This record gives sequence, structure tokens and C-alpha cells, in this order.
Amino acid sequence: MLQAHSILWHYLWVAPNVILLALAFLMWKRGLVKTFPIFFSFAILSAIGQLAVYVADIAPSVSAENFWRVDWISMLVEGVLKFALIAEIFAFAFGPYSSVAKLGKFLIRGVGIALVLAAGVAAGYAPKDSPYGLINGAHLLEQTIYLIETGLLAFILFFSSYFHLRLSRPLFGIALGLSISACVHLAAWAVIANAGLKNSTRYHLDFFSMAVYHLCVLIWCYYLLVPAKVRIEPTVPPSEPPFNSPSAPPTTKDLDELNEEMERLLHR
Amino acid sequence: MTLATILVIAAVLALVVVLRVTFSRGLQVSTDRSLAAQLQPIDVAAFRNLVDPAEDAYLLRRLPSAEFRAVQRQRLLATAVYVKAANRNAAILIIMGQDALASSNVHTAEAARQLVENATLLRQNATIALLKIYVALAWPHASLGSTPVVQRYERLNVSAMLLGRLQNPAAPVRIAATS
Repeated sequence: MLQAHSILWHYLWVAPNVILLALAFLMWKRGLVKTFPIFFSFAILSAIGQLAVYVADIAPSVSAENFWRVDWISMLVEGVLKFALIAEIFAFAFGPYSSVAKLGKFLIRGVGIALVLAAGVAAGYAPKDSPYGLINGAHLLEQTIYLIETGLLAFILFFSSYFHLRLSRPLFGIALGLSISACVHLAAWAVIANAGLKNSTRYHLDFFSMAVYHLCVLIWCYYLLVPAKVRIEPTVPPSEPPFNSPSAPPTTKDLDELNEEMERLLHR
Repeated sequence: MTLATILVIAAVLALVVVLRVTFSRGLQVSTDRSLAAQLQPIDVAAFRNLVDPAEDAYLLRRLPSAEFRAVQRQRLLATAVYVKAANRNAAILIIMGQDALASSNVHTAEAARQLVENATLLRQNATIALLKIYVALAWPHASLGSTPVVQRYERLNVSAMLLGRLQNPAAPVRIAATS
């Protein structure tokens, strides 16, 4: 069952990409393309890229060298789209709040530089797991992309959580799916590229990564296609204020006093 | 193998952050209604007095060096309590403000946007001020620079009251206690 070219293997490689294409179609039908253009592009190009790699893998006419070339191209396109998608998530999450956006941009640049350096060091110290440069390079490129992607996404989620900024439901779903996929793939590729595994263990890791990616595609479908439950808030009777504030409602005098005090402080 | 271990640990830590944010988001949605009750009004006058540079200068002039450091540490600890309370109130107001952003009333939505903007800036200032306080605890002569927090807090109080009035005139939202 957990063998390359088993039914489960074919399913886990093909199904998430077909679902992703269906998701892109439904996004287009529902007019979500204008809201999330980069995610839409990612869904289409990433799915097509993965399906191309799948065809290159099973087609006997494609040589091993050409398979890895197709894999490289797919990875590069997907990598560029992922970073564009992270920029889209950042813009949606912090764009409306100028003060946080300014600090966030400053911090994410620093985090980005640190991650690029760390990824460079990790790639530099990684042992060669194959005698072929094309295969080694592909593994290291995957590891590099996932390391930077994981760090940036974890930073965005942590930063928005610290400021209690609520990401919209579809945006949160996109960020969640991408983050889980990045974390699991980073761990898997780090082991594949650096630990010198036996083929059987490696297949198990491949299956695990593929299953997690399938789950992430389902997370995207859920958050983008299923509307949020509408909460019905009970109305609070005016005579019973629901919190422990001073009993008297604020008056215009309060506001004037505060404004006067603020003016005094500002002009001190 | 060491490199693989380090990267796997990094990936697991990142996954923990992601899952924690996911669960806290779920909790946030379920506890929104009790948020206003968690607001803790702050005595702004006392807070302002604690961070007044003139007070620091006066104490420095009047007290012997060792006594000044001891007094200053007590004042810094008290200031930290105020800044933490302001930081917590800012977080609550950010959530309340975001709830009101979707309001169909233009004035309410604008007041909510203003409240979230002020509250995020206050949270940012309060975090930096807290770091400065901890530095100053080790070196009590260091300049504290918490005055922006007080000013931002007062602006936030105005924004919170304005949004509270627009949403429910009978139920005030107040984060500053008046003496």
C-alpha cells in the first residue's frame, strides 16, 4: 500500500491537484478571483505544475533527467507564487492598519533576511544525498523554499495574533493551509535531504507529505467555499450594562477634559 | 543528521505557533461577548505622574543615590503594572473594534476603524515601553520614555467612548478611571 506507484500513491498525487483546479473554478464562478488573484493563480499553476511532474513520472517516454527538469521548473514557478501569496496575505492582514503595517514591514524584512541567511547556511552544510547534481539541487531548493516560507508565515500569524488582528475567514484559511503544508514539508525535506534515509522510510515520508498536502487543499476548500456561521447576538437591555465600568455614562465634559489634557501633553 | 534535527525542530515550533493561533482564534470568537467586562479602567492621572520626567528629576535631586534607585525601582514596577493593564485593554478594544467594523452605520464603522488604529498603536508603544521598563529596572537612571503610552491611552479612551456611544448609548465603554 505505502509503495511508489500504488493506488494510494496515484490518488494522493493526483486528487489534491484536481481538487485545487476545481477550487479555482469555483472561485472564478463566485467572483473570488478579484479578491485573491495570487491564490487563484497559485491554485491553477501549482496544480498544473504538479500534474505535469506526475505525468513526467509515469510516462515511460520521459527520461529521468527530463523528469527532474520538469520538477525544477514546477518548483521554481510554485516558489515564486508562494512568496507572492505570502505578500498578498501580509497586505490583506495589516494593510488596513497603517501603524501595524509600518512595524510589520520593518520586522518581516528583518525576518526575511535572517531566513534567507539561515536557508543558505542549511543548504551549504547539507550533505549530498545523490550523486546527481540535478537531484541534489532539487532537494535543497525544496528545503530552502519551505524554510523561508515556514518562517514568514509563522511570523505573520504570530504578529497578527499578538495584535489580535482577525484575518478574514478565507484569508485565514489560505494562511493556515499554506502554513501547515510548509511546516510538514520543511520537516520532511530536511530529513530527506540531510538524513540519508533508506528508500522504504523515504516512501513513508513522501506519503505523509502528500496526505498533509491533501488535507491542506481540503482546508482551503472549506475556508473559501463554506460560509461562516452567522452568530445571533442577544440584545442587552439598556438598564443592565454588561461590564464593570463606572456607573455614570461618559459625558461631553469627559471628552472635553481628556481632549484638553491631551492638547496640554502634546504642546508641553 | 544534526542539520535535519535542527530543521525538524524549527518546523515543529512553527507548527505549534500556527496551531496555537488557530485555536486562540476559535476561543476569541466564543468569548467575544464577555470582552467588555474584561476592560480594566486605569487612573490616567496617577499613571501620568509615574512617568513624568519632572518627577524623576525631582526625586534624583532630593534623594541620595541608593535611595533614589530603590524608590525608582518601585515606581518602575508600578508603571509596569499600568502599562500591562493598558496593553491588555488595547487588545480587548482591538477585538471589539474589529467586531464593529462591519457595521452598516458609516459613523460606527469609522469610529471602529479609528479605535482599532489607536489601539494597535498603543499596543505597539506599550510593548516597547515594557521593554524599556525592564531595562530601566536594571539601570534606574535610564530614561523611561513611557509618556507616549499615556498620551496614546488617552486618545484610545476617547475612541472607545465614541464607539461605545454610537453602538449603545446606555452602556458606556470606559478605560480611564476619573478621580
